[in-house]
Amino acid sequence: MSNEPESGVGSLQRSGFVVRKERLYGRLIAACAVLTIVVTVGIILALSGRALSFWSEISPIMYFTGTSWSPVIAQDYGVLPLISGTLIVTVFSAVIALPIGLAAAIYLSEYASDKARSILKPSLEILAGVPTVIYGYMALVYVTPMIDRFLPFSAQIIPPGVPVLPEFTFVMPSLGTFNALSASVVVGIMIIPMVSSISEDALSAVPDSLRQGGYGLGSTKFDVSTRIVVPSATSGIVASYVLAISRAIGETMAVTMAMGMSPQMPYFPNVLRNLAESSQTITAAMVQIAGADSLGTGPTYEAMFALGMTLFAITLTMNVLAELVRRRFREEY
Amino acid sequence: METEETTSDQLGRSTALRLQQLKGQLFEVALVAATLVGILAVLALFVQISSDAFQPETASPAWFLVYLGTLVGPTAAFTLYARRRPAVRETNAKAFAAVFGGLLLALVTYAVVDSLSPYDVFTYAFFASLPPALVLAYDRTTEDRTYTGPAIPASIIVGVAVAALLYDFVRGPIGVAAEWILYFGLVTVPAALLVWTLTASRRGRRSGALAGGIVAAGGLAVAVASIVTGANASLLVVLYSAFIVPTGYVLWRSVRTDPEGRVGVAGPFVLLGGTLLGAAVVDQFGIRSPDSFLTPNLLLQSWDGLTASNAGVYPQIVGSIIIVGFMAVLAFPVGIGAAIYLEEYAPDTGLRGRLATILEVNISNLAGVPSVVYGLLGLALFRRTLGFGTGIVVTASGTLGLLILPIVIVSTQEALRSVPDDLRQGSYGMGASRWQTLREVVLPEAIPGTLTGTILALARAIGETAPLVIIAIATTTYSPPSGLFSSGTALPLQIFAASANAKPEFRHGVVPAAAVVLLILMLLMNATAIVIRNKYGREN
Repeated sequence: MSNEPESGVGSLQRSGFVVRKERLYGRLIAACAVLTIVVTVGIILALSGRALSFWSEISPIMYFTGTSWSPVIAQDYGVLPLISGTLIVTVFSAVIALPIGLAAAIYLSEYASDKARSILKPSLEILAGVPTVIYGYMALVYVTPMIDRFLPFSAQIIPPGVPVLPEFTFVMPSLGTFNALSASVVVGIMIIPMVSSISEDALSAVPDSLRQGGYGLGSTKFDVSTRIVVPSATSGIVASYVLAISRAIGETMAVTMAMGMSPQMPYFPNVLRNLAESSQTITAAMVQIAGADSLGTGPTYEAMFALGMTLFAITLTMNVLAELVRRRFREEY
Repeated sequence: METEETTSDQLGRSTALRLQQLKGQLFEVALVAATLVGILAVLALFVQISSDAFQPETASPAWFLVYLGTLVGPTAAFTLYARRRPAVRETNAKAFAAVFGGLLLALVTYAVVDSLSPYDVFTYAFFASLPPALVLAYDRTTEDRTYTGPAIPASIIVGVAVAALLYDFVRGPIGVAAEWILYFGLVTVPAALLVWTLTASRRGRRSGALAGGIVAAGGLAVAVASIVTGANASLLVVLYSAFIVPTGYVLWRSVRTDPEGRVGVAGPFVLLGGTLLGAAVVDQFGIRSPDSFLTPNLLLQSWDGLTASNAGVYPQIVGSIIIVGFMAVLAFPVGIGAAIYLEEYAPDTGLRGRLATILEVNISNLAGVPSVVYGLLGLALFRRTLGFGTGIVVTASGTLGLLILPIVIVSTQEALRSVPDDLRQGSYGMGASRWQTLREVVLPEAIPGTLTGTILALARAIGETAPLVIIAIATTTYSPPSGLFSSGTALPLQIFAASANAKPEFRHGVVPAAAVVLLILMLLMNATAIVIRNKYGREN
């Protein structure tokens, strides 16, 4: 700062100090941006270090093919039950959220008046903003008893007299205190806005000329919406689906609170039993380990990082996939 | 023959048309139902949870009638009256913001400073504000302002460093002072300065000094009066400076300068007066109120897992506020800086352009990383690499800060993108540098959008639980955090921990009440964001 700034009125040259100041600010700001890369690298390093030391003790083959997860009691580190639990929640929440989200997106983009949209859109966003602990609590205390009122429920798919296995009777047993169904319901509700807002963006991006063309050929609004607009926005809709599913996979508190902590391999062929009983997701297993007392050392603690690595790999793949779908199949108008 | 055919043809076609129409209508109904089903389901669950928290069925019908008469009726009447008159509506909104915002600000300030120790906060605040004040004073005496910009942040850093170095020397003498004096310095003095500058800019220096002086003198009077009567002088001083003063300022200005909308000032008082009047009537006639679980005890006591009436979440609320507040200090400058780089500095082409693309992709991927994974990052970074203790506030704030960084960046980017390019070109055309353009033109335009996004990020952070569980933040502590490096807890963690409590008065009482508190905190933040967005939208 020793040199005097040349602040002569006629001088068009900025003083050396000002130039250096500008450069410094520019660099500071660039450093902020680069920090985001550091975060990603940090995540990868933090996960891989501990995860690798876990896999050097427990063989990855056992980890990825084992059918029993019991880190504290039996020292079993098979991840398949957890993946099964995660899949159950993901599939059933997707069954709820994907059609509803897409329908909401079509309504908001094609049918709703401006006023309806200005009320409904923020209301839908609230669904994603409610803290997940509160969703978990609601699933545990309110949703489970509410659904359980209608259960058990059974219906025979194949008429009696035909000699088949008894499992082919459609049976939905009554729910346990912890069950996958209530968790799936709340996770489904919570990812609706993810589907609806991204899909709506994609639907709104379809140019009006396509709609007008459809109307010009005598199509109804129904035809235009379902045969022209939705197919034109497929890439965006698929991307929203993938992102929503990825969010459901990573969801933690709601599934921990509502679904319990008992890892299970899936029941087959009566898949509905999976919904009625407690199970455990990858994320819930991480919470359980973190909450246990034996912190800081041992394979159990490191298993948490291995699970985190698994989760990170799955969600990252899905997010990249969504981005690729969006880019590769984007319709250029 | 021919005509007959045509008629039947037409009939057939019209039936088909009607079917088509029916199909379209059914489709639309289905779409509306799908849009509403999620919203209605969550609404029903909210009704459930608040009915458990408030227990309205335990109140006598007279209770509802009293409040219908004193609170709901007048408020509805006033709202109807204000709806037709835009000036009244606007003043009403302003008065609401001043009264309830001020009240909230005062209570939060008091709770946070009280838990962090007013002596420490005062020491740091004093040393951090003195050097920049000196710099600004020097700035007024000279022509050349080249150095002022960078000198202010530098002087703040120097001030904090000096405070940390001299802490042991300074803490002693400061510790002699009575507590209210520190609150006076922390809250009343800034309030007085604010009133001074605001009044001075409108009505000249002398009225400014007078107004500031009146505010400061009022603060002293409040303190003296409360000491004489034996009340909590600190709390009253804070309430006076952060609640009465801003409310008074806004109301006084509205009444003086806005004859049309003047009536709007009454809005918040209709609400407050109705509540107080209702309470007085209920008390007078011994009407049975609901056995609500959302009591002062819940808000002011610490947790008790055995007796529901003693269970409170005060440490959790204050802990949440401190964690999220410090997180904001850590994450927002970085997030906003990154967004500025990506929007304003990064070129589109070349090596740097490619770097910017990578950054963008990376940020969108970070936004999709599950929050538990951030917990693991926090664990590895703060516990193992930096060696911080278990479950302390800094770790929690840092972890949540990393988590919301992508959200802050993306929303700030959107705000910056919406600033029209003409403004930038105009500024460059007049010879401003890039930084000057940014500071004087772009950032002021982008502030409302940025604020909206960042407040929503705060709302997200205050409900976040999973990463805090992973970094082993205590679920229950019995006092709020006493410093940034002391252990604290957060409200959602308590809800998580208490959800296992099977006693009915917890399961259908205290925990829903705590959840309602968390939801109210979030709704307040969301409402603030919406208000800012609407105000900004109207101005454009």
